[in-house]
Amino acid sequence: MTQKKDALLYVGPATLFLFLVILVPLGFVAWTSLHTGDSWSFAAYTQLFESVLFRRTLWTTFEISILASLGSLLLGYPVALHLARVSARKRAIYMVLVLIPFWTSILVKSFAFTVLLGRSGMVNTFLSWLAGSPVEVPMLFNRLGVMVGMTNYLVPFVVFPVLASLLAIDRSLYQAAEIMGAKPPRIFFRITLPLSLPGVAAAVLSTTVMSMGFFVIPALLGGRQDVMLSNLVDFYTRETLDWNMASAIGVILLGIVTIAALGVDRLQKFGARPRTAAV
Amino acid sequence: MSKPVTALPRRRFLQASGSTMLAAAIGAPMILTSKTSRAAGRLVVVSWGGNYRVGVEEALAKPFAKEFGVEVILIDTPDLAKVKAQVMTKNVEWDVFDVVGPMGFTGSKNGYWEQLDPALFDSKDLIAPVTKDMVPFYGFTGGFCYDSKKHPEAPKTWADFWDVKKFPGRRALRNRASETLEVALLADGVPADKMYPLDIERAFKALDRLKPHVGKWVDQTPQTVSLVQTGEIDYSYTYTTRVKAAQEAGQTIDFAFDENLIGLEYLAVLKGAPNKTNAMKFLQFAMRPENQAALMNHLANTPASKKALEMVKPDVRKWMSNPGNPKHVVSNDMWWADHYDDVSRRFKEWALT
Repeated sequence: MTQKKDALLYVGPATLFLFLVILVPLGFVAWTSLHTGDSWSFAAYTQLFESVLFRRTLWTTFEISILASLGSLLLGYPVALHLARVSARKRAIYMVLVLIPFWTSILVKSFAFTVLLGRSGMVNTFLSWLAGSPVEVPMLFNRLGVMVGMTNYLVPFVVFPVLASLLAIDRSLYQAAEIMGAKPPRIFFRITLPLSLPGVAAAVLSTTVMSMGFFVIPALLGGRQDVMLSNLVDFYTRETLDWNMASAIGVILLGIVTIAALGVDRLQKFGARPRTAAV
Repeated sequence: MSKPVTALPRRRFLQASGSTMLAAAIGAPMILTSKTSRAAGRLVVVSWGGNYRVGVEEALAKPFAKEFGVEVILIDTPDLAKVKAQVMTKNVEWDVFDVVGPMGFTGSKNGYWEQLDPALFDSKDLIAPVTKDMVPFYGFTGGFCYDSKKHPEAPKTWADFWDVKKFPGRRALRNRASETLEVALLADGVPADKMYPLDIERAFKALDRLKPHVGKWVDQTPQTVSLVQTGEIDYSYTYTTRVKAAQEAGQTIDFAFDENLIGLEYLAVLKGAPNKTNAMKFLQFAMRPENQAALMNHLANTPASKKALEMVKPDVRKWMSNPGNPKHVVSNDMWWADHYDDVSRRFKEWALT
């Protein structure tokens, strides 16, 4: 009983704070999405699912989020793998290199990318120099530009959880595998990769969920077809002042993210069972 | 009350104090803000940032504070969504709002502005009529810009802008229906004085033709010029004020003055503004010809006061368009107020396909 009381003392204030700053506004958003004029209705939702604009944007949001998440995983996993192998001192130094871009403002980075990726930007200038003839790879104001900007932002969010699960692997497993004569690729696929999967799942989930709410990068680096749900929310909130629709999109987005989170949670629990038995 | 406080059951005490604190926590910000902003001699003006802010501060805010003894607080970026939130929750913190035409009329339709007394302004001196709740502040000039070093033989009209054979290169337009539909119709040969009501079908057909050649549909205004500076775009829709700033920074950016779109900027007072009397004084002050001229020396837009035009410095005056020129389109904000939502949505859908 006293333990329960203690817990309440520690957790209570934060819970109350979160309740105020998250649940109350969230409730208001849900209420706004269902309240047209003076009555309750699902009009905003039915209108959204009939709208070409919304359906296309929803699809684009999925596409971009999943691609960006997988792209960051491909780039971030080797980084985490390397960080896990070096000594603790070196790791601390390399970690700074991961953290600096992570701390840089997303707006600053997006504007920097327009200079780098432009028609006569640094990358194209370099490619032209390599090829010996003018090269103009379109990298800006299209899907590629959005991908570069987003993966740049998301890589640290892959490195941290994957590194954590790599570091948690028992060293003696590697030694045992080596003694039994396993070659490095086999060790990677039989030990490292499976045991890092919880970190991978966490990374994929958090990057996908984060991508779904991206706003600045698609607006600055994307083309006309790279409109994401948050850009649509902005359009309904500030341009047409239709908060009914904007709230409905917000609720749908929240729903999708919740389902994704619950799904990954299940997956993780399911994956954890046989592994513990094997170890 | 005969019971001592200690006899109060603990749970009830916690409940009571908790709910008081909760109420205080929710209510405190509102009480605090409304109290401070209601203090005498204050005025909150929402205006645009950057150089614009400097202009408003020097030409209007400081002289106004000196003359009336009112402290003027400038806030950047007028956002109609925030106005809606303030008026809706009856927690108004802003007084004066500097607003673009279509946005202003939307606010007017929704009842976000205080009524204005027309006697405050010299209506004969203004380039556009004072509405029931907004006064025209100045006109801004939209057209297209290009790098004159890269393109010495530049396009002059919107028909040229659409002519990708004669003037090859990438274009940039705004990612919104207003302004973009007008220039599309100009390019398609609609005379400036027959622009409204807009022939939407015809405008989208004209836009279809240019679509493959548009490299960027711009959301952020600074990009309209910066993309030309970096050579990403050859011809971009932009405003005279942006080109003037680029030229002053030593760039070879030029502006086509032949066919322009003139949009109107308005001043309005928020409904329930805490410093309403000062706000009305500020509107009147901002519309005095000498103050208009002083502000336009900074902003290089076209003053709404005709008398002010002659008082503006000659080197600034060359950047101003004449709303009386029959080749220029003056944006019809009343039309946009009625059609903005539908046409905007259609424009977004069109852009995605």
